[in-house]
Amino acid sequence: MMESPPALALEEVSKRFGRVHAVDHLSLQVEPGHMAGFLGPNGAGKSTTLYMIPRLVRPTHGRISIFGVDIWKDYKKAIRSVGITVETPAFYEYLSGRKNLELAARLLDHVSPREIDEILERIGLAERQHDRVRVYSTGMKQRLGIGRALLGRPRLLILDEPTNGMDPEGTHEILSFLRHKVRNDGLTLFISSHLMSEIEEFCDTVFVINRGHLVASGSVKELLKPHERIVRVTFQGRTPDRDFISRHEQIRKAEFMTADTVEFTLAQDDPAWLNQCLLQAGFSVSALAPKQKTLKEFFLSITGLRHDEVPSSINQPPATQAGDKPHA
Amino acid sequence: MPSQFVTLLRNEVTKAARRRLSYFGLFAVGLVCVIIYFIAGQVGNSATTNAWGYVGFSMQLLFNDIGPICIIGFAAKLVADETGAGTIRSALAAPVHRWEFYLAKAVIGLLYMLVLSAFALLFSAALASVHYRFGPVGDSVGVIYSRNQAMREFLVCCALSWIPLSALVMYGLLISTVLRNPAAAVAVGISSLFLINFTKHLVGLDPYIFTRYIDYSWLTLQQIAQGMDYQWRPEVWRMIELSGVSAVLTFAAGLILFVREDLNN
Repeated sequence: MMESPPALALEEVSKRFGRVHAVDHLSLQVEPGHMAGFLGPNGAGKSTTLYMIPRLVRPTHGRISIFGVDIWKDYKKAIRSVGITVETPAFYEYLSGRKNLELAARLLDHVSPREIDEILERIGLAERQHDRVRVYSTGMKQRLGIGRALLGRPRLLILDEPTNGMDPEGTHEILSFLRHKVRNDGLTLFISSHLMSEIEEFCDTVFVINRGHLVASGSVKELLKPHERIVRVTFQGRTPDRDFISRHEQIRKAEFMTADTVEFTLAQDDPAWLNQCLLQAGFSVSALAPKQKTLKEFFLSITGLRHDEVPSSINQPPATQAGDKPHA
Repeated sequence: MPSQFVTLLRNEVTKAARRRLSYFGLFAVGLVCVIIYFIAGQVGNSATTNAWGYVGFSMQLLFNDIGPICIIGFAAKLVADETGAGTIRSALAAPVHRWEFYLAKAVIGLLYMLVLSAFALLFSAALASVHYRFGPVGDSVGVIYSRNQAMREFLVCCALSWIPLSALVMYGLLISTVLRNPAAAVAVGISSLFLINFTKHLVGLDPYIFTRYIDYSWLTLQQIAQGMDYQWRPEVWRMIELSGVSAVLTFAAGLILFVREDLNN
């Protein structure tokens, strides 16, 4: 049986703007039916990479293919299976939301008015479909952008910061809907976001880019494997004292998180040893778990940024300022 | 996959039909037509002694200023509006080639020019018919040009007047491709048009600039209306040549720039 080609493949892709290497020999593959996250700090080259997929930016070097079709050899065939939003979705503001979708649908094969109705229903804009986009909130525009990308039943969906400006409820609803599409319709999703909680919760694989280079990739589970050296223990009753800690060289550090919870930093990845040691000393342990690494910690560790250098938006809840209320 | 040009053009027509700017041009031209109507009554020159002359006079005045301003303003917004607002990203992320998109923009610019010109013509003709007849042209001695002959030359006039205007559309489109801010594109388009018109005589470029022919056809129609022995050739060949070359060059330059440029921020 022939192996199916990757949904999206970038091979040694580079883009130079003058002397600046925005993207430098970037290679990645998104397998069909996966939800892949694309992470990177501001200026890492995420947007430039996404711009190169629909040929909005011409790569200096490298090859991009979609389901095995080179975008520079047969663009129409390649892009037909893709729904894409790059940066904040823009619309003809003097037209209604529905009219905007209709204009986009004309360029695709066989998109029926019924499909447009279904999408508007799905993205929660059915009631406001005849309003001009000018009066839509940022969140509504984001949803309309996702709706537009879903037109024509694409096999690969590429979304750039899709939940910017959405309220937390809307964010969760949209991402759950997309996950449903991935699981049930075989859709492949490549999603760029600075909200690492989103990526962590919804994506199977993640690609991390920094200064134009791919610095990490793999399954989220693998990348976020818990810290075996940092173990959080909750006690019932008595807790270890300084003497106990100083007697055991393998314990590098012990920090009280609450009155009955202590975080131990061990010299080796051996939480089982700590458990045995505590039990032998007569402590009553009610819970012991290696500390979960967050994607943010992982991201910081590999991009070389310090906590105070991280853009303020990273890992914060989605902005709710615009909510779903229309602009006045 | 077949060319998407027709679909893109349909989209362009939908967009143009729903924008205020398109109607503003028609309104402005209509308003100036009415003003000309009152002025013409007071001027009472020999050019406006019959309906042909009145239409020629009206169209010449219209396409001296307001007509070209509206046309270049519309054309200068075509691409810049999309790049400025970011709608170009989604437009080109569809199965369309950039040349198809650009060609659709050029054609909608030409269609707008035709609609504006036809509207101005019909409005002028309607106002002309209030006082004059579209009859034969003659003097005290007799008929110089029959009604049919005058009508034929009138239609030739209309068709020829579109040639330099097409070059103007392509020039506006080129500016629209170079500048990504629609307001700046319109401002540069209109101001450069005036700058060229004011300075071309001074620097000796007048024979090489197509804008000199924008009202040429209507001046000739006025000559016909006065019973003068008009002469299309050889000047008309020069007009076709210069305007055609300008239109093709500006279109090609804009297309090459548009197809090659990076459309990131």
